[in-house]
Amino acid sequence: MRILTTTLASLVLILILSSSEASAKDLSVNEVVERTNAASYYQGKDGKATVTMTVVDKKGSKRTRQFTVLRRNSADVGGDQSFYVHFNKPADVAKMVFIAHKKVKGSDDRWLYLPGLDLVKRIAASDERTSFVGSDFFYEDVSGRSLAKDNHKLVETSKNYYVLENTPKKASSVEFASYKMWVHKGTFLPTKVEYYNKAGKKYRVMTVESVEDVQGFKTVTRATMESLTLGTKTIVEYKNVKYNTGLPAKVFTERYLRRAPLKYLK
Amino acid sequence: MKETSQLKISGNRITQFAVLHSRFVVRAVAAITILLVLGAGLPTLLPGTFGVLPAAQIDTDPETMLPAEHPARVFHNESKEKYGLSDAVFLGVVNDSHEHGVFNTETLGKVFAITEYAKKLEGVIAADVMAPSTVDSIGNDGPGTVTFDWLMAEPPTSQEEALAVRDRAMRIPFLKDTLVSHDGKALVIYVPIEDKDVAHEVAVALQDKLDALGTGKDQFHIAGLPVAEDTFGIEMFIQMAISAPVAMLVIFLLMWFYFRRFSLIVSPMLVAMAAALSTMALLVITGNTIHIMSSMIPIFIMPIAVLDAVHIISDFFDTYQETRDRRKTIEKVMHHLSSPMLFTSLTTAAGFGSLAFTPIPPVQTFGIFVAFGVLAAWFFTIVFVPAYIMLLPEKRLLNFGRATEGAEDTATGLLGGMGRMRRGHAKLIVLLSVALVALAAVGIDKIRVNDNPTKWFEEDHPIRVADRVLNQHFGGTYDAYLEFEYDVPEYTAESFAARLAERAFADAAASREVFAELGVALTVSSSSDPMDLLDELDALARSKRMGESRAAHRIGWSLTGDFLAEQYELAEEIEESEAVEAEESEADGSAATFGALMAQSLEKSSEGIASRLSSVGEAARGVAANAPADEEAFLAALRSYYETLEAGEGAGSLIEGFIGRAEQADEVFKRPDVLAYLEKFQQAMQANPAIGKSNSLADIVKVVHRDLMSGEEADYRLPATSDTVGQTLAQYQSSHRKDDLWHFVTTDYQQGVVWFQLKSGDNREMESVLASVDSYLAENPPPISMTTPKWFGLTYINVVWQNNMVTGMVGALLGSFVIVLIMMTVLFRSLLWGILSMIPLTLTVGLIYGVLGLIGKDYDMPVAVLSSLSLGLAVDYAIHFLARARELRHESANWAEALEAVFGAPARAISRNVIVVGVGFLPLLLAPLVPYQTVGILIAAILLLAGIATLGILPALITLLEPWLFKSKMANSLPEARSSRATVNEKQS
Repeated sequence: MRILTTTLASLVLILILSSSEASAKDLSVNEVVERTNAASYYQGKDGKATVTMTVVDKKGSKRTRQFTVLRRNSADVGGDQSFYVHFNKPADVAKMVFIAHKKVKGSDDRWLYLPGLDLVKRIAASDERTSFVGSDFFYEDVSGRSLAKDNHKLVETSKNYYVLENTPKKASSVEFASYKMWVHKGTFLPTKVEYYNKAGKKYRVMTVESVEDVQGFKTVTRATMESLTLGTKTIVEYKNVKYNTGLPAKVFTERYLRRAPLKYLK
Repeated sequence: MKETSQLKISGNRITQFAVLHSRFVVRAVAAITILLVLGAGLPTLLPGTFGVLPAAQIDTDPETMLPAEHPARVFHNESKEKYGLSDAVFLGVVNDSHEHGVFNTETLGKVFAITEYAKKLEGVIAADVMAPSTVDSIGNDGPGTVTFDWLMAEPPTSQEEALAVRDRAMRIPFLKDTLVSHDGKALVIYVPIEDKDVAHEVAVALQDKLDALGTGKDQFHIAGLPVAEDTFGIEMFIQMAISAPVAMLVIFLLMWFYFRRFSLIVSPMLVAMAAALSTMALLVITGNTIHIMSSMIPIFIMPIAVLDAVHIISDFFDTYQETRDRRKTIEKVMHHLSSPMLFTSLTTAAGFGSLAFTPIPPVQTFGIFVAFGVLAAWFFTIVFVPAYIMLLPEKRLLNFGRATEGAEDTATGLLGGMGRMRRGHAKLIVLLSVALVALAAVGIDKIRVNDNPTKWFEEDHPIRVADRVLNQHFGGTYDAYLEFEYDVPEYTAESFAARLAERAFADAAASREVFAELGVALTVSSSSDPMDLLDELDALARSKRMGESRAAHRIGWSLTGDFLAEQYELAEEIEESEAVEAEESEADGSAATFGALMAQSLEKSSEGIASRLSSVGEAARGVAANAPADEEAFLAALRSYYETLEAGEGAGSLIEGFIGRAEQADEVFKRPDVLAYLEKFQQAMQANPAIGKSNSLADIVKVVHRDLMSGEEADYRLPATSDTVGQTLAQYQSSHRKDDLWHFVTTDYQQGVVWFQLKSGDNREMESVLASVDSYLAENPPPISMTTPKWFGLTYINVVWQNNMVTGMVGALLGSFVIVLIMMTVLFRSLLWGILSMIPLTLTVGLIYGVLGLIGKDYDMPVAVLSSLSLGLAVDYAIHFLARARELRHESANWAEALEAVFGAPARAISRNVIVVGVGFLPLLLAPLVPYQTVGILIAAILLLAGIATLGILPALITLLEPWLFKSKMANSLPEARSSRATVNEKQS
């Protein structure tokens, strides 16, 4: 069984399979999971967006980070991908760059550029469930969790949603015991994801708040991740979303860490 | 005199009423007590069923020693909230037997299991648990690679893996000696809890789990202030349930020794119980909490309550056989005693009541309720004891006062001898007393004010053991935090606009300069290929930027980077098109052409950037005209001005960058100079041996910087710019614990804390830290304008209330001294007699504190409170002694004769009191908590000293001052003196 893991439908540009293609009733868990994965992370051949992350702390004070994200798929949907993240705001992290080569099998390759130190650094293969630059989203939420890492179960099919329950195959490597995902039947976008900890308590919730049509792709433009135990949440907004911009593979290489690919970021 | 006699008469009337209506009085006292106890007890046992009556509430939080609205406490709680710092249970793990200490597979396996278990416990803040498996380790995994991972993702399966965990932890200064000890023999799991109330529950659950896991060769220690407090609450009740009754039992046995009449001596016990129970009941009913202080109320009330009753019984015992009429005897006894008893009770109540003026709420409650209890005891004594005696069948008293006369004769003879001796050596005694006072003064000078809630437990208590072991292995388990705050310059739109304009002009000028420099490099370059040329210039721009210390120039070099990025793209386009054209025609001189074109656009860019930046000054002045409310609004207005100007294109990255930098200008805790100031400050503080270690934002930045760079010690330093600090921290936050950063700095980077770990919770140690910090800060002003740094943390709070207590207690003691002196002067209608009565207590209090100073016992909370008790008790004996001495002097031919008589029944009553009450409180030494032991031993010492001072010095002083004290017999005579004659005559015959 394969499943979709993603929580954050977002950084990513999403391709919607037209809902007429399949009659929901006939879908197997596998199909639901794969289509959700495709809708969440693989729309178009490539995509681009300006992302604003607003981290709201316990007391309600807000901090904002803004970055441009570029994504390029390999040949197959559900296969390897590349990401390029260029930070714009706040001013002190501007020009910080992060590149990831997501591998469906094996660990992702990740690089980092810190302009203040003029330093290119490779990030060693390690846990992907760590905060994405201080937000409530994890790196894995942004890049997509490999379907093979979880067991998936279709626990409910309502009029509008498939409800999936996902449990990790290797429980010791993650902080959750399971997560539940409400996948919208029409778009195959997960509109809500709830994470449960090992004590069976819900501690993390992702909610999609806005979906727009961009070049025919149903695209999440606003979502929130709430960390219930920490009392913090992060609102993510996508602007200037564009698909199929013809991003060349070279943009995702080390030399573009130091020097921004200006014309693709514009 | 008139007043005194009225008091006396009304006292007698009460006694007469009690004697006449004895049955009613006994029932009424019992009924009042039972009613109050039910009023307190039932709502506690069946909460909610009794309407407004509150249930008993326990409060063992030392924080309560400060009023809730005290600025230090308010700031402490605000800061805890602000920096997300919770109270925590510490689970220390020590292994001395394995060669690698705790770093072996077995121990770490247990550590992992117990951590997982702790995270699931109710009331535990799982996200903040600090253990090897819950903290991140940043590391350097070979050249060019950085790692962010759990310190111990899973229990190690081999010794190598276990040692790898150790090695990783040791590389991280804020974990070393905080989470793992430097010798590898110990580690600590921090289990933060939502509320202090669950500390004991969590500790018990952890202990159960440890028992189930089997400790093996590991020692586990559960510690932390919340556990200590919760445990204290529990042991407090053990002591209330055991020590107090044992004390009562001992008092009872001693009274039995003296009076041999069970039925009679039961009455002081009943009075003490009635007074203590009703006071405690009233405490609960009035909604006060049972605190460490108020839990001591019964122990203070009982000896005082017994005191008066023992006087009555003692006198009754001595005189009953004269008439064998209990009514006559009791009336006579009460006649002698009612005035001294009233005054002793009033003075004692005044002594304790004065505590209401201390600034410490639990001490106030304590003082008020003990004062109440003392007066209740007085009232119960004068009504209940006579009534009770009246109810006894006459035959039970048949041999009363006789059976033990033989034994008592020795004592009487001894006391009489003492009296004579004192008279004979009056000068010597006074001289000796003066010498003692001098000695006491030396001791008082040496008094060390110090307290430590952990030391409220005995040496071998698990909490003390844990405290010792953990502080020996780690940087310290006592936390104190010092907050630094940027003193933000006052905002006015004009001044802000001026600052922005100044900065914009500087940036513009610097960019011109920098672009010119790049232009020169372009001109002199010999590169023949556009890409080579760009690489050369790019390398120059980078190295210039990295080596630049002026902010404006750094920004300029960064802007050249943007320019070069554009040129690269241009060059790539040319290259691509040339590749196509190459087949058709021969390319030539492309570098030269490219270089020339680039020189043109460089000039254009330079001019454009400079003029755009310069325009900010003008724009800012325009915005200032609308007087935006604050910097944020100002910058938003500036941004929208440029957005309008650019017709929807956004403010453009140049202006956006400028505004973005202005937005962050007040994020001072990212500034390397500010962090370096903290770093130096911490290093200097390390010289104070009380400080185990300290942590701050500077330490975090240094570690992350090191591992982002080479991983070598040389890179364990602060980066050169605020931007780099910001980028470093963004990486630090890309961890499993993104919010750990906010334990050290606020999200606006305007406030930051230095977290000190102290090895001892002694207030004295904390005070030495305060002194070191103050003197450092005075000599080393911060690089930016800051408000005076402020402390918080329980270790600091303890010092605040201790200082409050010391000054408060001194004030209370002096106040009550004056009040008692006035009362004594009124009682004796003579200032001289008043002063005389103050001498034994002055000597007692002086000597007690002198001895404390000399033997080096800390002046702590229980000691401070006992000063009130010593004042109250020591004056009691003097009142009894002097009142009777004066009476007897009037009945006797001369002072020598009177003295002989005073050393009869009155002195016996005093000595019995000293022994019964003093010895009676020694069982408090059995209590498992040190404050109660201190109280026990000090009460005994105070009583003994007060007794000796009264019986030793007063006769000597009266002998010396006789001409002044008794210059006019009749003028000073008390009305009751006449009836005393009978007693004295009978005694003498």
